[in-house]
Parts: sequence; C-alpha cells; structure tokens
Amino acid sequence: MTSTKDVAAMPAGTTPPASPRVPTPRARRRKGFSDAVLPYLLLAPGVIAIGALLIWPTFQLVLISFRQLDLRELVTGQLVWVGIDNYTEVLGDPEFWQITVRTLVFMAAVVAATLLIALGVALLMKQLNPIVRMLLQVALVVAWATPAVATTTIFQWIFDQQYGILNKTLDLLGFEGFIGHSWFGDGPSTLTVIGLLITWQAVPFVAFSLYAGLIGVPREQYEAAGIDGAGPFQTFRAVSWPAIQPILTIVTFLSVIWDFRVFTQVWAVRQGGPDGESTTLPVYMYLKGIAGSHFGTAGAIAMIMLLVLVILLARYIQLLLRSKEVELK
Amino acid sequence: MRKSLPQRIALNTVGVVGAILFGFPTYWLITTAFKTPGEVLSPRYDLIPLSITFENFTSALSKPGFTTFLTNSLIVTLGAVVTALIAGVLAAVPLARMKFRGRKGFLFLVLVAQLAPIEALLIPLYLLMRDAGLLNQLPSLLLVYMALTLPFTCWMLYGFVNGIPIELEEAAMIDGCGRWGAFRRVTLPLLGPALVATSVFSFITAWNEFLFALVLMRDQDMQTIPVWLATFRTAFAVDWGGIMAASVIYAVPALIFFLIVQRKLVSGLTAGAVKG
Repeated sequence: MTSTKDVAAMPAGTTPPASPRVPTPRARRRKGFSDAVLPYLLLAPGVIAIGALLIWPTFQLVLISFRQLDLRELVTGQLVWVGIDNYTEVLGDPEFWQITVRTLVFMAAVVAATLLIALGVALLMKQLNPIVRMLLQVALVVAWATPAVATTTIFQWIFDQQYGILNKTLDLLGFEGFIGHSWFGDGPSTLTVIGLLITWQAVPFVAFSLYAGLIGVPREQYEAAGIDGAGPFQTFRAVSWPAIQPILTIVTFLSVIWDFRVFTQVWAVRQGGPDGESTTLPVYMYLKGIAGSHFGTAGAIAMIMLLVLVILLARYIQLLLRSKEVELK
Repeated sequence: MRKSLPQRIALNTVGVVGAILFGFPTYWLITTAFKTPGEVLSPRYDLIPLSITFENFTSALSKPGFTTFLTNSLIVTLGAVVTALIAGVLAAVPLARMKFRGRKGFLFLVLVAQLAPIEALLIPLYLLMRDAGLLNQLPSLLLVYMALTLPFTCWMLYGFVNGIPIELEEAAMIDGCGRWGAFRRVTLPLLGPALVATSVFSFITAWNEFLFALVLMRDQDMQTIPVWLATFRTAFAVDWGGIMAASVIYAVPALIFFLIVQRKLVSGLTAGAVKG
C-alpha cells in the first residue's frame, strides 16, 4: 500500500521514470507537454461540439430576436435590425398572452397530477405484497419506456370517436350517447387528453424516484414512530416526508421544466388544433417560425420561453450545487 | 406496522387496479396490432383478442418508404450515440483524472447544457443547418442529436470514471503500463457497464426525438420514423391496426433498451437529489 501512496504523491506522468529525481530533459519535456495540453486536447471534441451546436446558436438566437427575419430577408441575406420590435409585437399580441396562460395552466395541472399520482403510487408500492408490487412496477416501466409518438397514437386510438375503447366502455357502463362523441372537438378536451397521456408517461419516473427515497428509510424509524403511538398520517409526516422531500423538490423542478417545453405530444395529437385551441408556447414558436417563416418573431418567443426557464433553472442548479452528490471538485 | 388482513387486501386491490391502468395503453397497442382490420373496426366490445394475425405488420412494412424511415432513424440515432460516446469518454477522463484550468467551468457548462431546453434553439439551429446546406441531410440531425446527448454523456461518464479508484491505474503504471495502457487495460474495461448504460440512454433520447426531425427533414424521403408515424397517420386512413403495428415496430427497440438500463436510470437521474 505504501508504494501506491508514493506514486499517488508523484505527478501522474506516463511511465514512472527509473530515477524520478533526475529526469532526462526529454522526459521532462514530454511530461510537461502532456500535463499542460493533453486535457485540452481530450476535451476539444466535446468543447467544439457544445460550442458550435449549443453556445453559438444561443448567441445567434439573441441576435435573431432583434432582427426582422422573414422569408425575404432570408433569401436576400439582408441584416435588418429592428431593436425590440419583435418583443413588443409578441408581448402586444393578445394571442400570445392567451397561449402563455394556457401553457402555464396546462403545465401546472400536469405537474400537479403527476406528483400527486406518483406520490400515491410510491407510498402504495411500499405496502403491496411482492407479486402485486412487481406487477405494478412492470406496468410502470412499460408506460415509461413507450416512445412519446407511439403513446400519442395509442391514446388517439383509445379516444377514437367511433371505435375507441373508451367510448365503447362508457356506452357499456350505461352512459348513453358517448359512441360518436369526439374528445378532440374543442381545446380544453383535447388538452385534457394530451395532459393525461403526458401524466401517464411522467408518473413512473417520479414514482420510482420517490419510492427509492422511501425504501431508504430504516425500518426502525417506522417502528419507533409506532411505539410512540403515531398514526399513519403522523408517521408519514415525521418519518417518510423528510426522506422524500428533497427528491420531491428535484422532481418538481424537472417536471416543470419538461412539461413547460413539451412539443411532441401536443403537436402529434392535433397540431395545436382545433382552431389553435390546444396550441402551447413551443407549438406557437414552431407555427410562427418554421411554418410562418417569421424567424425574428419566433426568436423573440424562444427568448421569452428561455427567460422563464432560466429563472426556474437557476434555482434548481443552485439546489443541485448545494447538494453533496454534485460537487464540482 | 402490520396492517390487518382487510386493509392489505384493499391496498393490493388498489395496486392491481393501478397496474392495469398503467399497463392498459401498451397492452391495447399490442393487441390492436395483432387484430384483423375487421375486428379493429367493429362495434363489438373486444378487450381480449379472439384471433391473432400478422396482416397489420405486413401492411405497415409495405407502406411506401417505411424501411427508408427506419434506416434514417437508425443512422442518425446510432451515429449520434457513437460520436457522443467518443467525445464523452475523451472528456470524462481528464475531467475526473487531471487538474487543469477551466475544468470546473466545463463541468458547470455541461450541467447547465444538460438541463437547457434545446427546443429554444430550434430557430437558430434551423438557420445554421440551412446556411450549411445540411437541410434534408441526415448529418444535420445526427449533429443535433449528438449535441442533445453529449452533455448528459459527459456528465454520466465523468461520474463513473470518478468512481473508479485511481489506485488501480497507478498499480498498472507501476507494473509498467503507460498512461494510455493503464487506461485501456484497467479503466476502460471497468467502464464497460457505464458505457452501455450511457449509450442506451442516448439511443432512447435520439430515437424518440421529434421536433428537430420534423423541422430539419422537410423532405418526405428523409423523415425519421416518429415524424412519419405522427404526420402520416393520413396514409393509413382509418387503418388503426396498421398504425398500431408500425408503432409496435417503432417502440420495440426503445422498450428493450429501456428494460436493460431501467434501474440505472432512476439512480442516475436522481443522483443529484438535494440533501436537507
């Protein structure tokens, strides 16, 4: 062991030179080169990729949001600076505010539903017998693993107007008139279905995370709470809650970030329709920018979205960095 | 705390109902894919399929371009996984093993990039690819997916390399290995499971990606399978069996890979859980 320690104290060079005290000039030069430049050489591909594909576009996004960039400018390559016109246009548009409010309400509803259901599932998993628990876990993993687009096709089929199993079931249960009922006829109903399918996919991750926290609590603590005469609710508050509260904070942030920017499911179900009634902010950005070729306006929308998320993210990263596991040593 | 028998029965019943609710959509996807078109579009109440047919799978596979879309998806996904993995390993080793200026800065950058919404970069990335003449070219999507998975790959691999005791490499160096030899013979084999887990996660991310595939691949021949599934539902008219069969083919690789790394995924994503 002592020999290992000695080497550890030595700067990690290539092969340890035979006599470390008198290195040959060549060995010293090579060691110096490798220690000074090697890390940067190894990091280069990652830095170049992140720089070119994430940082440079972010910088470009800021510039684009201050330019008028429609099809004409795109073709002629003209640089037309319009200051904050894009922002005033977007912020002055009642449609934008309607969509923003809709997106925030939608996000809040999906996050709340996800967290509540997941908490219930996690607490339930602890109480189940092993076979039922495994059954539930398999179902959760499958729901989690199904790709988002496949999920949208399934839900559209389940909610199909004529032959969907939901309408058939409702009819069978005695609710007359559901055969032929369209679940995608108006915005709120469409968004409810979209919210359901996002929740269905989001619950497993949150539930498993919370469950991992719950099974980390030593059994003795529950026994002690029982001896002290705590009821189920008191036990939850005094024993389970401290164990899952930090995890709950993390998954809440992650859910907010994920559900705020969700595009795939909203787009794949009805492209933001009917009549734009299920359009959320990312879909709005797509429609303005890519479909409508108003790249400057879409850039401003993206910047506003980014600002909202940065505010949310800053707090999250602050929490992450304060935690023990993530140390930028 | 022992629960009484009726309580346990009630809880387990709720558990079974929960399992059915969460399992049903996927069950419904698979059973519909194996039903005949006549059965799919019948007013009969048919929770359990009476017969099994592969008709839908042959009809999905024979849809014009299906194999092209599948190949496109595979090329961009595997290309992104491999390039991100190489760049990730190269970055993770110095991050975990060497001291140099800018190390903390890069780690912080990676952490932020991992959480940053790449959707916001849709417009600049679209214009960038357009200027580079890469629209409707698979490399554009491959690059975007690499950028999408790289921060996560770096962060995960950095954690894994950190977890391998440096003494092992040092022992190999005492035994006469060079730094590269020690890495290749000691660290890399130990990193194996981490490489699998990380690349599977990248695979799933890229395989499922939709927005950039929709925007960068406007040309119908260059589409990936999720975009085709979502936008060309009309190609199937009301052929729900066909859509479900195509969805099954699309979902299977993701499902299999997911099951391999499922446990690691939970611990990996919550590794940053805040304590207190």
